[in-house]
Amino acid sequence: MSADTPLLTLLTTTPLFAVGLTLAAYLLGSALFQRLKRPSWLPAILIAALLLAGALALIGLPYATYQQGATWLTVLLGPATVALGMPLYQQLPRIVELWRPLAICLPIAATLAACYSLAIAWLLGSSDTILASIAAKSVTAPIAIGITEQLGGTVALLLGALLVTGVITIPCVSLAARWLHIDDERLIGFALGLNGHAIGTVRAFEISPTAGAFASLGMSLTGIFTAVLLPLAWRLISMGS
Amino acid sequence: MPALSGFLWLISYWLIGEVVIHFTALPISSGVIGMLLLCATLAVRGRVPTSIAAAAQPLIALLAMLIMPGVVGVFFIIGELAGQWTAILIALVLGTLFSVVTTLWLLKRLIGRPNVR
Repeated sequence: MSADTPLLTLLTTTPLFAVGLTLAAYLLGSALFQRLKRPSWLPAILIAALLLAGALALIGLPYATYQQGATWLTVLLGPATVALGMPLYQQLPRIVELWRPLAICLPIAATLAACYSLAIAWLLGSSDTILASIAAKSVTAPIAIGITEQLGGTVALLLGALLVTGVITIPCVSLAARWLHIDDERLIGFALGLNGHAIGTVRAFEISPTAGAFASLGMSLTGIFTAVLLPLAWRLISMGS
Repeated sequence: MPALSGFLWLISYWLIGEVVIHFTALPISSGVIGMLLLCATLAVRGRVPTSIAAAAQPLIALLAMLIMPGVVGVFFIIGELAGQWTAILIALVLGTLFSVVTTLWLLKRLIGRPNVR
């Protein structure tokens, strides 16, 4: 009689196992991130996600079972997104100062954020399903899932695209800021949130509260703009071809 | 229990967002609607109540952990996309680099005083 399987089944009957696993991976990932002297190409969230995926594979826990338990954590994403309204309010004077350039930049940048990748993927011969799955790559997860369903893409692939985009945005922004000689935290934060959604925003809060507020702004405006226009544009292009 | 009542505020705003979406069919998430409503409320009141700050600060600090369970799912679909990954990765990495450069360049041009903090 093997004690392993019943024990795992017993443990996973309570969501506390998945929650504990997530907390452990997060804390360990953060500690490793500090130990590695905070590399910009390897954000703490990627280390933690790799640890967590490794742990799930090691103990043989199916992702669906884990995800069910982890709902106890992910449900907090709702109030946490609402909470971003606080730094947004606190930085309101500095945002109002810049409303004109931000208002001009946002539609162009948010459109290009989707178009560049779509064009490259299309040139490389990706299928329509893949194009539909990566179109919302710069939009924060809760909004992006809705958009992708409307376009007929795969949500799992979308989440992958979100991870890659979010993670790659961080070194891209530091690189581009150095090229263009930009050290304004407001611009860096806005670019992080606009292109790298929640992952970029988390990074921006590590830089400073100001960068974080501009990132929240960039993230939410990109989300709203893309949610309204992308499904519409998609329908027009599909009709044309 | 200031944090608890602040948390109740956050949940209420999220639920209001759900109601707004139900009646308007807006393609936006209720979190974003709640965020904009919270920001508007704070702007009207002119200050951040301690209860909301006590609940919002720790939640924002935990944001990275809250998106982790979804992120991990990626490692479990890699097999399904055999052969397509290179094209997808190239598109995402190059596309993101271009769009980050465009965003920053555009902002710098529009704001004109790039080095002022």
